[in-house]
Amino acid sequence: MTTDMAEGRTEREGPTLGARLFRPFEHLAGAASLALGLAGILTAGFVGSLSGTYFDGVLDTHSGLAVPRAVFFSAGFIDWLSLSVVLWVLGKLASRTAFRAVDLFGTQALARWPTLIAALAALVPSLRRLSAGFAAQVTSAAPARPDLPATDFMFGGLAIIVMVLCIVWMVYLMYQSYAICCNLRGRKAVGTFIAGLIVAEIVSKAALGLVFRA
Amino acid sequence: MNNFPTSCPSCQSQLTVARLVCPECGTGVEGSFRLPLLAGLSPDDQRFIVDFVKSSGSLKEMARLLGVSYPTVRNRLDEIIARVRAAEGEES
Repeated sequence: MTTDMAEGRTEREGPTLGARLFRPFEHLAGAASLALGLAGILTAGFVGSLSGTYFDGVLDTHSGLAVPRAVFFSAGFIDWLSLSVVLWVLGKLASRTAFRAVDLFGTQALARWPTLIAALAALVPSLRRLSAGFAAQVTSAAPARPDLPATDFMFGGLAIIVMVLCIVWMVYLMYQSYAICCNLRGRKAVGTFIAGLIVAEIVSKAALGLVFRA
Repeated sequence: MNNFPTSCPSCQSQLTVARLVCPECGTGVEGSFRLPLLAGLSPDDQRFIVDFVKSSGSLKEMARLLGVSYPTVRNRLDEIIARVRAAEGEES
């Protein structure tokens, strides 16, 4: 956003690719981000149900374990709500700006889009075989290295790296959402965000436990 | 016309007006006049304020005009408010 006083106009500049990937909330927030974000969470849940991947906690991704089908679709929403509510409370306490809940909840939903890529990465057959092999190893009385071809270790390993990078990217986007929507910077922003993330992780785990025990 | 300078190019202090001239008849007034509060802001901030007034104070309309999100516009406004308050503090 630049201004030319001599010409008397404000120029619009489209966001760069870097800005779209790492600072999308400078350009997108509110109801649009909420709709896109919820669609992303739902889609990630659907793809996760195909690859056996679920997000049982704000920062958790697990693959290859048998869980009820409802977990795939509801876990993402519970994670999103847990963190959004905790950050909303922290934002109200820490920020001097009167911010809109729809911006924070919407951008937090959009920040979970990398989980869709993580769920897609988990569709790689090598990773599924690798997960099954390691799961068998854990439950076996005499653990041994899974008997799989080297390509499974290579492609499965690559898929795991992609999934980890997606989680890192997601956390970065969650922070960006919090900092922009609540107008917080520096140590105050980082400190309250980390505290919020830890509390939300516990809240989401507890909520998921309550929902699926009932 | 050149952009209006607000700070000293040598020491960055706020400039004051020493002479005003009528462009029609050439009459000049000399003295030491303080710049109006908003004139002390950067051209970007001044343009933002003009656009904000023209948008009837609607942050949503400003977001649409600038192609950015609502919180980005609101944060920019908060920064300008802080600068205006700081300038008011310097004046008083």
